[in-house]
Amino acid sequence: MEYFVTEIDRDGTVAVDDTILIKDYETKAGSHILDGFVPLFSGDAVERLLGAGYAVRGKTHTGEFGLDIAGETSYHGVCRKADGTLSTAAAEAVAAGVVRQALCVDVNGAPRRGAALSGVDFLKPTYGTVSRYGIIPTACSGEQVGVCAGDAESVKELLAVIAGHDGKDGTSLPAASYDYTADKTIAGLKIAVVQEYYDAAADEIKARLDAYIASLKEADAEVTMISLPDAKAYATAWQIMLSAETCNNISRYDGVKFGYRTPTYKDIDELYVNSRTEGLGFTAKANVLYGSDVLSKNQYLRCYDKSLRIRRLASEKMKEVFAAYDAVLCPVMRTASVEAYDTADTFERTQQELLFTAVPSLTGIPAMVTGGVQLWSAAFGESTLLSIAKAMEGRADK
Amino acid sequence: MTVEALKALESLNEFRLTETEEQKTMEIFAFMEQQAAALQNTDTEHVEVMVHCMPMTNVFREDVREQVFSREALLAGAPEHSEDSWIVPRLVK
Repeated sequence: MEYFVTEIDRDGTVAVDDTILIKDYETKAGSHILDGFVPLFSGDAVERLLGAGYAVRGKTHTGEFGLDIAGETSYHGVCRKADGTLSTAAAEAVAAGVVRQALCVDVNGAPRRGAALSGVDFLKPTYGTVSRYGIIPTACSGEQVGVCAGDAESVKELLAVIAGHDGKDGTSLPAASYDYTADKTIAGLKIAVVQEYYDAAADEIKARLDAYIASLKEADAEVTMISLPDAKAYATAWQIMLSAETCNNISRYDGVKFGYRTPTYKDIDELYVNSRTEGLGFTAKANVLYGSDVLSKNQYLRCYDKSLRIRRLASEKMKEVFAAYDAVLCPVMRTASVEAYDTADTFERTQQELLFTAVPSLTGIPAMVTGGVQLWSAAFGESTLLSIAKAMEGRADK
Repeated sequence: MTVEALKALESLNEFRLTETEEQKTMEIFAFMEQQAAALQNTDTEHVEVMVHCMPMTNVFREDVREQVFSREALLAGAPEHSEDSWIVPRLVK
């Protein structure tokens, strides 16, 4: 199993996905267009973990710019599980015990799906609590660095290290640091299960949710079914915003200042076009094209502006939900495994999965994957998620 | 979406697709058109746009340089460069 695109320190206990810069180590974000790009500085999250005495084992493969389902679009190597199905390299490295923890950028939910596929935990914290300085940007308004680990305590440990204000990131929130606990009592917690997500999941995932709900009830949590009638609209809105932001961010790769340059060109126009044609993968190109379409005069109001308004609706809906409930429990994926698929289906497949992962990206709330299911809380509710995860992991171990 | 409009988008974004990729992209646009049409059923008439998911106003930092890279270091990452410049084909014909 090839986990690392770049090996750094065999004694290191943390993996860093190849979307996060580490000074002096080539960083490619799963794309041919970044071949040869060696950053001059490290991401803030990496600086914090190195400063706390952690060592980085290596940089794990990621899907191209984090746009795919579970890392399958990487130019440099796709991670497959022993049975040939897909998962992310970071989650597989944690599951195999090659590293204790991993930092991953959650752009469209791939690290969350990878955690579920490999049977480990992943927490995407509240937007702005972990600096995005020094990550390869794709969808800046929703992407966030999160932590993958084998259990909730290990997630909490590394999250506490990397979270905190960073003046170099304009979207970084003001708190200098965050105190997380995984030891809150879960008896009496009110947990909502969303009917629309439950109904959209395959039977195997429904069974997993049913078992998790039964465990929560045994632990004296109160579980209630609720409805999010606009769930599909939230997923479409995030796909539109994701493509629009990807279009803007990918425009910087031109074969001139860094990264890949085509060997075949006669003039500057051919240099740009051939470098980008050869350097970008199909999923990235499709997102760029759709993104430029939704930002065009004809589609802007109907698609992009509409999505920004739906983001507010989703945010207000979540405030309403979390005024009544401590957490939301839902699937993170439609099925329990992912097979390779035709790239023509890339948006259709992604849209099926975004149904379950879009809301935290769109609204900035934290999301945690544990035991193959997903938990959401209100902004800054990470301790609630960690505590539920730890309590349920404790029950599963008995 | 027509093939001509798609080619215009390719040109705008400075890359080309193969014929097969263009066919796949047309299918993707057709699928997303259905999604965008369904989006119109969500009433947003009195809803303000939300650009940032977390509140952000006047995000400034002190106007102090903290990280300075030498010209040599910045050029080192370029696919082709001279001692003091990036090398590109002639721009003025």
